[in-house]
Amino acid sequence: MTNRQDPSARGLDRRRFLTTAALGGATIVGASALGGLDPDAAFAAPTPSLDPAIARSAFAEGRITAIKGSVLEVAGSYGDHHLIQLTNATSVWKLRTTTAEAINVGDGLYARGVDMPDGTIAADAVWVNIVNLLCTVRGIAKDRLHLAHGGAGHAVVGRIVPQTTTASYLGGALTSDLTRVRIGQSAQVLGAWRPEDDTIDIARITVGH
Amino acid sequence: MLIVDLAPLLCGALLAVTGAAKLLGRRTAQVAANTVLVRVLGDGHRAVAALRAVGAAETAVAAALLAEPTATWPGAATAVLGAGFTGYLAYARVTAPESSCGCSARDEGPIGVRSFLRAALVLAGGVLSTVAGTAWWARAAGEPGWSALTAAVAAGAVAALSTDLDRVWLPWRRLRLRLFGTPLPGARGMAPVEASVELLERSLAWQASAPIVRSALLDHWDDDGWRVLRFAGVYEGGRRARPVSVLFALDRTATVDSTPHPAVRVSVVDDRTEKPVPVDLLELSGLREPLPLV
Repeated sequence: MTNRQDPSARGLDRRRFLTTAALGGATIVGASALGGLDPDAAFAAPTPSLDPAIARSAFAEGRITAIKGSVLEVAGSYGDHHLIQLTNATSVWKLRTTTAEAINVGDGLYARGVDMPDGTIAADAVWVNIVNLLCTVRGIAKDRLHLAHGGAGHAVVGRIVPQTTTASYLGGALTSDLTRVRIGQSAQVLGAWRPEDDTIDIARITVGH
Repeated sequence: MLIVDLAPLLCGALLAVTGAAKLLGRRTAQVAANTVLVRVLGDGHRAVAALRAVGAAETAVAAALLAEPTATWPGAATAVLGAGFTGYLAYARVTAPESSCGCSARDEGPIGVRSFLRAALVLAGGVLSTVAGTAWWARAAGEPGWSALTAAVAAGAVAALSTDLDRVWLPWRRLRLRLFGTPLPGARGMAPVEASVELLERSLAWQASAPIVRSALLDHWDDDGWRVLRFAGVYEGGRRARPVSVLFALDRTATVDSTPHPAVRVSVVDDRTEKPVPVDLLELSGLREPLPLV
């Protein structure tokens, strides 16, 4: 069904099919489709919760202790245990959008999903090893940033991953241009922690926010 | 040897600085709270007392080293301190790797290689001090040039091993970047996928389809100038809820900078029948009634 199971030819066929569906009978939602030219007017109307799934959602976090088929056994940080059921419709994030194969025992995990009658959580979305740190840039090298985190300035190494690491400057759009990162800047770093060497692969660095 | 005779001076100076910082420092309590001592001794007050006691011992040994450089026992005491530090670090590293070492009382980084090297330096200095044959003041007076050079090299080694001095390097690193430019990669052609997702998540289309979308980004691909983003969702219109794919298609070059209010194609495809599901997003989300077309 998804590229999780058939990453090769069938995945591409399905993408082509879905592209046709996406571009064929699609509703175009933009400012003009609403009739008004000022999109702010649309926001003036009473808006529903941005994430209606929240009310019915279960949430779990912890370290993965075992993987049995498509079920992840997770030991929570507060001594709780969860069984996370992955499905075809579960999105998996580990530095980038990826598939369940990228998940390893020992990884940290945040999962959002729905409680099932058998006590498992059917996951809608899973974020693996995700970290979000407010840091100061202390050093810049070709493939990594040296960062200081927290009041005590704990040293953190942030790896720059080719084709993946993006940056945002002064609230601007995300870009692959990293050249405007400066030493001494305060930076919000979103990334994936690497348990094997305790560094962070940087997904996104926001500076001048 | 020069280094042997100067070892009491170098060790004494190092221990005097770190010992005084632990014994008299205003932040000792704060530092102690982050060390493994709290868990070993049961409470924070005892950890502070222990850290101050170690500081007092360091200061005493430093005084002995400086005053009695040719005696064996101050060197032996230093070596014992160094061995104790190494053992303490090893214990803390194994049982609580995230804890701070509290070694130099200002340094609060987690225990790393540098902490161990510092402790090993104290141990080695202590061993050298036990065999010092000439008082350091006599030796320094005899060979002032070489003594000064040795002291400078030793101070440099300690500084390199100290995380406290990181800020000293910052201006140099800045200067290097200014002279040679940044080594970081520049922009590559297209907008990254994250930029498209960011644009989508700020768009009206995203708000309108919020009641259906359940997952985060599942898949994405580029096709003929379009960037297609696929999410999983549940559509509860009609008789029963059914799993669907929610597909968003955007201009693949558009970002929040270039296109603050993008037009986004949204379609909902039933996962079982693979048929598009007609969904009136604007009505579903209750965002606003479209104006009637004339």
